[in-house]
Amino acid sequence: MLGENEELSRLIINCLSRDLQGNSEIFACLALHAIANISGREMATSLLNEVQQLLVSGSHTSFVRKKAALCLLRLFRKFPEIFEAIDWAPKILYMMDDRDFGTALGVASLVTALAQVYPEAYYGAVTKAVNRLHKIVIEKDFTSEYVYYKIAVPWLQVKLLRLLQYFPGPADLQVFRRLNDVLAYIISHSAEVPKNVQHNNAQNAILFEAINLCIHLDPASELVDQTLGLLSNFIIAKETNSRYLALETMCHLAATGARNCLDSLRVNQDTIVASLKDKDISVRRRALDLLYSMCDQNNVRVIVAELLQYLPIADFAIREEMVLKIAILTEKFAMEYSWYVDVVLQLITVAGEFVSDDIWFRVVQIITNNEVLQEYAVATILTALRSPTCHETTVKVGGCVLGEYGHLIANMPGCAPIDQFTALHTKFPICSVQTRALLLTTYVKFMNLFPEIKGEIIAVFKQHQSVLDVELQQRANEYLRLATRDDGDELLQTVCEEMPAYPERESALLLKLNQKIADTEDKRTWIIGGKDANTEVAKAKAIRDAAIAAAGGAGTNGVPRPVAAGKGLLKTFEDKLQESNNPPAGSTEEADLLKAIELSKLDMPDGGLSETIQKPTTPAAAPTVDALGAGVIDYSLAKPVVKALSGGMDDSTLYSRLVTAANGLLHRDANLEIGLKTEYREHIGRIAIFFGNRSSHAITSLAAEIQADPKQVRVTLLQPLPSIIPPGTQLHQIYKVECLGVCDPLSLLNVACAIGDGISLNVPVNLSLRLPILLTKFVTPIQLPANDFFQRWKQIGGPPRESQAVFRPASGTVVATSDLAKIITSLGLGIIKYVDDSPLSVVGAGIFNASELGKVGCMVRLEKNEQYEMYRLTVRTTNEIVSDVLRAQIEECVALHI
Amino acid sequence: MAIKATLIFNNTGKPRLMQWYQQQMDVRTQQQTLKEIFRLVSNRPDSACNFLEGSQLIGGNDTKIIYRHYASMDLYFSKSVKIRISEIKQFFSALYFVFVVDSSESELGILDLIQVLVEVLDKAFVNVCELDLIFRPDDVSSILSEIVSGGMGLSFA
Repeated sequence: MLGENEELSRLIINCLSRDLQGNSEIFACLALHAIANISGREMATSLLNEVQQLLVSGSHTSFVRKKAALCLLRLFRKFPEIFEAIDWAPKILYMMDDRDFGTALGVASLVTALAQVYPEAYYGAVTKAVNRLHKIVIEKDFTSEYVYYKIAVPWLQVKLLRLLQYFPGPADLQVFRRLNDVLAYIISHSAEVPKNVQHNNAQNAILFEAINLCIHLDPASELVDQTLGLLSNFIIAKETNSRYLALETMCHLAATGARNCLDSLRVNQDTIVASLKDKDISVRRRALDLLYSMCDQNNVRVIVAELLQYLPIADFAIREEMVLKIAILTEKFAMEYSWYVDVVLQLITVAGEFVSDDIWFRVVQIITNNEVLQEYAVATILTALRSPTCHETTVKVGGCVLGEYGHLIANMPGCAPIDQFTALHTKFPICSVQTRALLLTTYVKFMNLFPEIKGEIIAVFKQHQSVLDVELQQRANEYLRLATRDDGDELLQTVCEEMPAYPERESALLLKLNQKIADTEDKRTWIIGGKDANTEVAKAKAIRDAAIAAAGGAGTNGVPRPVAAGKGLLKTFEDKLQESNNPPAGSTEEADLLKAIELSKLDMPDGGLSETIQKPTTPAAAPTVDALGAGVIDYSLAKPVVKALSGGMDDSTLYSRLVTAANGLLHRDANLEIGLKTEYREHIGRIAIFFGNRSSHAITSLAAEIQADPKQVRVTLLQPLPSIIPPGTQLHQIYKVECLGVCDPLSLLNVACAIGDGISLNVPVNLSLRLPILLTKFVTPIQLPANDFFQRWKQIGGPPRESQAVFRPASGTVVATSDLAKIITSLGLGIIKYVDDSPLSVVGAGIFNASELGKVGCMVRLEKNEQYEMYRLTVRTTNEIVSDVLRAQIEECVALHI
Repeated sequence: MAIKATLIFNNTGKPRLMQWYQQQMDVRTQQQTLKEIFRLVSNRPDSACNFLEGSQLIGGNDTKIIYRHYASMDLYFSKSVKIRISEIKQFFSALYFVFVVDSSESELGILDLIQVLVEVLDKAFVNVCELDLIFRPDDVSSILSEIVSGGMGLSFA
């Protein structure tokens, strides 16, 4: 109710102040609570001293002191600059020895926060913390009320252990020995696993914190060696929490980069790799981080191979991170360049859509800067381009690299200029506009490198002279003019000179990864990544601090970005893309020419772009009686209602549910139950088919396969199915589905098996089930402003790219508009609002993704007529076949109201 | 010690208690965050661990969600009074207790804090169930503020 910036909060400052100074403990506590929760800057400044007095005065009960400590901590977090932390240090440190454990805990939290900012002033905390720990752990100096599941004040122990991690190890030898005793005691007394969950938690919390402290003090010490045994037990433990924390701690260990740790971690490498397949995504993430941290020259091959193998079946949620990490590891530890190129290409093939631009920019950079690598890289990429599964990113890399270095392999068999050109150009139609633009640039470079294929290339340019997209059109025209000048290609040669090597840069990938590690209130004492990463971060931080200090001194506002010795600033990659896309404008003459071309272009007819945008006139709302006669399909008559026949459980009902749902049953009878789980991302999908044995006998010789049109859908089996299902169990197989072209709804799942009935063992069963691998599954929703929608709608125009149908619903009555919107959404389309004012229609848009056909924009308009109980559906897409198939599918869903 | 938020919601994602300790958040963001957390948490099987890395919405990599799912609350406590709410319990008992914390927290410590919170609630309401949280929200939030003050854990154990 009362925010920190409200006027009113100023008025209560005096009240609060009175409460703080008063005698009542309850009032003081409430006031502290209020300050902690709602104080603004003004309140904090005026009450800070009083709060601090409460903490150190000693005349108050421990409860008030505890609250005061936490209130101070909160204020420090919010407004660190108003704190006179250094002056207060002795008093606050003195409070650490408070006899009351609760107060000590609060003060310890406060000191932890202060010590991160003022380490010198609070250095005294080390000795105090060690002594306190020694008292609790070894001298057992505590009263019984503080024992929690047989452990004395566990959270104070945890807090103190963590506090110590923010300081270097104690310099005083005696203190150091005491600390060592404490740690050794904790570690040696944690071997047995308590039964009680709370007890176990408390014990493990202390243990993990102690291990972290050991690692912080000296990763090569004997204590750490001892803990390694414990940790490796934990990562195979049944309890997930322990596995998770153990992996995290190991990650810390790997981050120190101490020899002995890495060696012993390597012993556990198999277990860690197995954790990548853990059921729990949190554990998988930790395992990934750990593998990333423990990787070095020696095991990089093994680890990268494992990661690559796991990548295709990893969750979508962590794939991007995995791809990034694999790319960094290969770059950092690659011993030979050919391996680097191989891995990155494999990465693009396996998980192309997760390869961010940064990654392939980096590849191109590295290839450009290493002459030795170029020939091999070009040859490999050309082979990759020829494979049918090649991803758009491969095309981009191919475009950049072939254009620059294609001539290096022109004499090899099968790599003649025309071969290179065809390899690229067959992929041209399925690429996005951006990639096509890049390819056009590649072609102009080819023209310079290989004059013999000039004819083909000019044909391509001519073809694109009047495409809809302005960028493509501009390039095609400019390049065409450049090619057909009659100065003997002199200009062309200047424009297409080989790219200069890039200045040595910091890897943008590392930057990206580090950016992800956001600032937190308590600083981390380490970060994920190998030793280098940790030292680098420390260095970068030092440089940045220096830079900020310098900027402050000079009184400038702009903080210079850190410039590591010998490394240039990182240019944004957009710049780079620009460079690679556009021929470098070297001389002014050239620039003028380009300008001239641009001017001349303005006169050209502009494929209908300048047409004014009009709202399409709303088609007559009521289909006339004429329409009823010929074109109207009446679902209520044509399709007898199947549902009533068999209690709603027959295969076709189950199928129709799956048309919109991602998961569900495919088939169910007394013996066998087949379920389906699907996950789609653009043109790729994963399908898991579950087979459950409901009978009391084993199902044998089970075989199942998906039958689909190989030209339209590519189905790959990822996880095969055992041939026997014991009674009462469920098994599954996993497929990867890739949509190549327009998939029609005729995919089948053929299942053959033998079911024992107790008398004769084998009753053969053959099933053929429709599988909903439908076009709509590969559609991703998009949101457009209404204006854009109209523009595109008009651009596509009427038939053949429009498909329309008028039909009656199966139930005989139309449903509410909101239900129609639900159907449209469930089919993967995004609802576009404010397009049509009529409450009787729904408008949607989406993108259909297919790897060979490319991306197809889909727009749908569904209207209903309540008077005649009919629907009219209009589908416009950029591809006429897609229009028809999509229309048919939506029509079916709407008519049957699935 | 920094707890960013404390949330209690039931199996269908209906919030029963929301307390945010970070900067002022408008209701919309709060609800989005709640939905996001519910989506992340509700899909996890009971065997999965109690920690979850935050998604972008909640603060990125350095934020952790630490939660406990009490499928049937009184299973954890005294068995004698089970009958009292046994019928309603079918609909009103499974609750998620979620703490959003930054990575400097001891995970197990927070897990224990949740347990403490639940035990205290149980003592205060004598066999707590979701209805208690619905009908006596004041009591619940004052209990919570005794345990967590402005994002700082007050009373462990």
